[in-house]
Amino acid sequence: MDGDDVTGLKKMKEKIDEIELLACELRDLGGGVPVVEKNTQSILSFTHVLKFGISDLIDM
Amino acid sequence: MLMKSREYWNPWMETLNRERLLEIEFRNFRKYMRYAKGHSPLYRKKLDGIEPEDIQTREDLRRLPLTDKEDLRLAQEGDGESLYGDLLGVDLTEVSDYRQTSGTTGKPVYVPESYESWQWRVEVWCHILWMAGFRETDRVFVPFGYNVYVAFWEGHYAAEKLGCEVVPGGALDTRGRINKMMEIGATATLNTPTYGLHMAETAKKMGVDPKEIGIRRMQCAGEPLPQATRRLLENIWGAEVYDHIGGTEPCAWAAMCGQRQGLHILEPFFLVEILDLEDQSREVKEGELGMAVVTPLGRHSFPLIRFNTQDVVKKGKEGCPCGRTSLMISEVTGRADHLRKIRGVLFTPVSVEEILREEFPEINEYEITVAKKGLMDEISLKLEPHEKLGPTASAGLANRIGERLKMKTNLRFNIEFADPGELPRYTLKSQRFKDLRGE
Repeated sequence: MDGDDVTGLKKMKEKIDEIELLACELRDLGGGVPVVEKNTQSILSFTHVLKFGISDLIDM
Repeated sequence: MLMKSREYWNPWMETLNRERLLEIEFRNFRKYMRYAKGHSPLYRKKLDGIEPEDIQTREDLRRLPLTDKEDLRLAQEGDGESLYGDLLGVDLTEVSDYRQTSGTTGKPVYVPESYESWQWRVEVWCHILWMAGFRETDRVFVPFGYNVYVAFWEGHYAAEKLGCEVVPGGALDTRGRINKMMEIGATATLNTPTYGLHMAETAKKMGVDPKEIGIRRMQCAGEPLPQATRRLLENIWGAEVYDHIGGTEPCAWAAMCGQRQGLHILEPFFLVEILDLEDQSREVKEGELGMAVVTPLGRHSFPLIRFNTQDVVKKGKEGCPCGRTSLMISEVTGRADHLRKIRGVLFTPVSVEEILREEFPEINEYEITVAKKGLMDEISLKLEPHEKLGPTASAGLANRIGERLKMKTNLRFNIEFADPGELPRYTLKSQRFKDLRGE
């Protein structure tokens, strides 16, 4: 892994964090309405997977 | 620069140096242990008095108790109010998927997954299928009704996520499946090794050469796949055939790359220990057989720490010519609960399969039975040839097979022949070994 990889991974980690934050905000705005709540929950499940595969590399 | 590489599913993680990989595994292990203690009634009790911070080295892991299938069965009983008892690590309303073990060795274990944990399992399978060369251009046929059994569901959703076209092949008989594969131009399959052989046999009976069906790759699941059987499948189908190892409880935790020489442990999804067979008190060395103890590090709905898989494997090297840096399993020998002592000799049924598939192509199916005759154990092998043999040919073949088995297993087998088509065929887990001594 070289410098370009590390820079790219850092940017990706930031985007993953942003997506997670935005998804939580969207879920809260939905106020429990299923179409918003269930779809944002799915987005958060995928961010869990991305954090495991990408963010973990940079969090060390 | 790895950024643009499509050779790996996750090029950064899969080629990471060992030191960093292990750092990630340990950090995730402690995080996971903390979660399990906080959310799983089973581990709240089981890990009482040990804190995640106490686990700094691989030796420290052995301070934690193993979890075996019986622990899970007991925890599942819980207070009797919930289906999952003390196993569940999330609120019941978060559970989106029910799967269960096959129940071969006792009452099935129910495995609840939240959508998040299910996606984690699917991601593991994305690694497996990508390593096996599955790509967006593949049309993947899954010749099973998957029912509650997890592997083909995982494979189905992972293939879909990869961008493959997935065709579920349940509710058809084997001839119907062969016809469907030809009709749609399937290029890949997910199946048990036994069923791969059975489909090929059926295709030949239909006058179809399996090679002409067009399957380029086959990911096997559900049963041990000795190298000889894997090569046999490759020859019959004209396809690349891939193995993996795993189970319903921990998920699939090691798989083959394009080199097809051993299995990569899927690090850092799993922290895998390969421990001595005697009392699981030390990690074995490279080239030594051991029992695989597996902790999946990202599933919250069904926390599982140091699960004793009972899988007996040979520890391999670190790294591989494919560029992946993970630890390898050089061989899967079988399951400890399939190891039997017969006349004082340790025996695993896989050793018979290896010899028959590698050296005796005239044999199509087989069945091993161990029974007591007086005080003595007696081991019998029923062989089904592709074509009926005359008495002289049978006697000669039985003699040659008996000699090879004696050399390999140190046991003398009573060999008899079945007619072609007489022995049962299996779609999921085969039952070619029967130990009747306890009956």
